[in-house]
Amino acid sequence: MNYPPMLMHVKVKNRKTDFGLWLPLFLLFPLALVVLLVLSPLILVGILVLLALGQGRWVAWGLRCLWMAIVSSWALKGLEVDVQGRDEVVQISIV
Amino acid sequence: MSESKRKIIEMLAQGKISADDAYRLLCAVDAGEVQEGREREDTGKKSAEVKGKPKYLRVTVTPGEGHADPENADRVNVRIPMSLVRAGIKLTSLIPPEALDKANSALKEKGINFDVRNIKQDDIEELIEALGDMQVDVESARGDNVKVFVE
Repeated sequence: MNYPPMLMHVKVKNRKTDFGLWLPLFLLFPLALVVLLVLSPLILVGILVLLALGQGRWVAWGLRCLWMAIVSSWALKGLEVDVQGRDEVVQISIV
Repeated sequence: MSESKRKIIEMLAQGKISADDAYRLLCAVDAGEVQEGREREDTGKKSAEVKGKPKYLRVTVTPGEGHADPENADRVNVRIPMSLVRAGIKLTSLIPPEALDKANSALKEKGINFDVRNIKQDDIEELIEALGDMQVDVESARGDNVKVFVE
């Protein structure tokens, strides 16, 4: 089974800054779900208004965008970016 | 003729083994060779399957041998999951048709006669699988090695 990304690690180091951040994505996903549930009545009203105005294609487009956002965030697992310059380091990894 | 078969025949010629023994031994050697061939074929198929399903697209920039200052050189190592590449290509379905028309006309202006709308899901899968054989290796004038490959 393909699991969603669990953690995101960001590290930025240069002459002025030096910070590392572990972002628990597994905590953000439930939060995003809650936000979506809270906003769902508004989204529903928006969909109904657009359908009433004959703009159904924008509803389909919006739903496709939402789906693609979910798919893309799911696919982020395994992404690694490591850039090292003379005085700076930027590392992003999603596990 | 394999080494084993040659030895069996020599032993038969020297009278160390009988003709029946030699026959049985030769049969055993043949069976072993057939089995070995099948295993080799299976391994080949498996490696082809593994090769056919790339997992990550890698882009690396490292200082090459000819780099003036390798210790202070920039280093880049990017690993992009193929699922993300796939999702990215699928994002083209979100592009409004008007924008696709503009992209097509821009391509035509550059002399590329290609309709972006003709890209289908099957083509994308085929394209991604074909990426398994791709390897780009560039050495810049500054002495940096740029590699793009799939693993």
